[in-house]
Amino acid sequence: MEIDISPDTPIEELVKLYPEAVSFLSRRGVRCIRCGEPLWCTLGELLYEDGIENPNDLIQELKEHIRKRREQAEDSK
Amino acid sequence: MKEILKKLNIKEVNAGACSGQNAWYEDPEGQELISYDPSTGEPIAKVIQTTDKTYDQVIGQAVQAFKTWRMTPAPKRGQVVRDLGQALREYKEPLGELVTLEMGKIRAEGLGEVQEMIDICDFAVGLSRQLYGLTMHSERPAHRMFEQWHPLGAIGVISAFNFPVAVWSWNAAIAAACGDTTVWKPSSDAPLTAIAVQHICNAVMADHGLQGIFNLAIGRGAVVGERMINDGRLPLISFTGSTQMGRRVSEAVARRFGRTILELGGNNAIIVAGDADLEMAVRTILFGAVGTAGQRCTSTRRIIMHKSVAKELTNRIIKAYEQVKIGNPMKEGTLMGPLVTKAAVEDMMAALEVAKEQGGEVICGGQRLEDLGEQFVEPTVVKMPSQTEIVHNETFAPILYLLEYEDIEEAIRLHNEVPQGLSSAIFTTNLLTAETFLSHEGSDCGIANVNIGTSGAEIGGAFGGEKETGGGRESGSDAWKGYMRRQTNTVNWSKELPLAQGIKFGD
Repeated sequence: MEIDISPDTPIEELVKLYPEAVSFLSRRGVRCIRCGEPLWCTLGELLYEDGIENPNDLIQELKEHIRKRREQAEDSK
Repeated sequence: MKEILKKLNIKEVNAGACSGQNAWYEDPEGQELISYDPSTGEPIAKVIQTTDKTYDQVIGQAVQAFKTWRMTPAPKRGQVVRDLGQALREYKEPLGELVTLEMGKIRAEGLGEVQEMIDICDFAVGLSRQLYGLTMHSERPAHRMFEQWHPLGAIGVISAFNFPVAVWSWNAAIAAACGDTTVWKPSSDAPLTAIAVQHICNAVMADHGLQGIFNLAIGRGAVVGERMINDGRLPLISFTGSTQMGRRVSEAVARRFGRTILELGGNNAIIVAGDADLEMAVRTILFGAVGTAGQRCTSTRRIIMHKSVAKELTNRIIKAYEQVKIGNPMKEGTLMGPLVTKAAVEDMMAALEVAKEQGGEVICGGQRLEDLGEQFVEPTVVKMPSQTEIVHNETFAPILYLLEYEDIEEAIRLHNEVPQGLSSAIFTTNLLTAETFLSHEGSDCGIANVNIGTSGAEIGGAFGGEKETGGGRESGSDAWKGYMRRQTNTVNWSKELPLAQGIKFGD
């Protein structure tokens, strides 16, 4: 399963393609949507603004989280 | 669904940039945006998003049209807005249903939103004969001093999914009466309602031989939104959205000395006093917290209740919540539809986890309703031990936090403690308590109500809030002044040249 997320991924694209990212990041203090609308920046910009020190590590974790969620969803079908 | 789309001229693939009936702009390089039905997850139709090239075409038309529109007498401009209101009356049903189809609010609310458009058009027609300026008595003899309100220019309107058409109309109808043209970037989650409105506008403009008064530029915030807020051709940006985005908009527009009208986040509370009519309070809380699935700027998010009524009120709220019919928002009797996106569901669930970690107890709801569809959730009530960090944040979902207080001072302190300041309400039968809430030391919000809830504002009042809500005012009262430029004029009709403050200079 190819999960294409990088620091350059626009948040508007991230939340559409990978909605699971919203709760994962929110639990780490990074909120992608506010008032129901995605922020206009990239993931890298948002992580920087929120003071995430190792954004690449977090992005890897995020991808793993999405992969697991999707596998679980597939299994439960 | 097909019938609604047909009535509103929505095609399978639609251009996303427009300035008039024969001025739909489509760039082959424009990316596709698919609009989905949040109830089923099925695609409704596609839009070709605005590119740099088509953006410039739209802005060019809006700027050009402003030059003649500003010279059209205001009452004549009002006639165009009157015809727009009439056209909206004719399309009220399909347009309201498209709102429901595209963003998931129940049909009654979708129709109500279009009614709001009609109402603001009526207001703007009257306004077109009332763009009054003051006259002042000059301190110099034989001088006349007065002020005039002139049209401002092409106005950028950036709106959100939750009121996909009403917020545009609050801006566009008033701006049109004021002699401005508008360029609208709607939410990417509700582009089709914007296309439908543009078709209606196009027909009205064409009837008057006009083009470029109402313009559309659908596209991502990072593309179209950023272009708009940094575009010196747009002297005013009216932005509805989050505090975080509002800060970005405000900074960008201020850098070029443009103006903003900001309608940002809310964290609206109802104080329920010990002497309140609890039956009225519960009905109001239900409408405020569950209506539009808790996705209104003015949704009720906090209940601050007196200890003496806390238990009974909580029980009544839970009982009311258990009777909420959740499901297809188009169906008669449904009170709550889906959330707008899957991402919104994720955001809600994350907020509930945090609330629990901070001592909150979910006493009602809290679950996804996947049997109904991926974007359906239960409206949720969370009893909080205190006003923790999560309660200070706005989560755009049907989560209601319950807090208790002992005296009115504590209630008002809790009420005002959050960074947002949009809407507020108190339920009390005590005049002194009510007046305290409305006083200088009471609610710090832009909207403060007694014995009615936080949502459901009428168009006649100025809508907006303080603090992190942004300070902007839209819609009624004198909000029109934000769409015009004030010019102070002094005319000397004497043969002398007296200076103000009695200054003698070279006499």
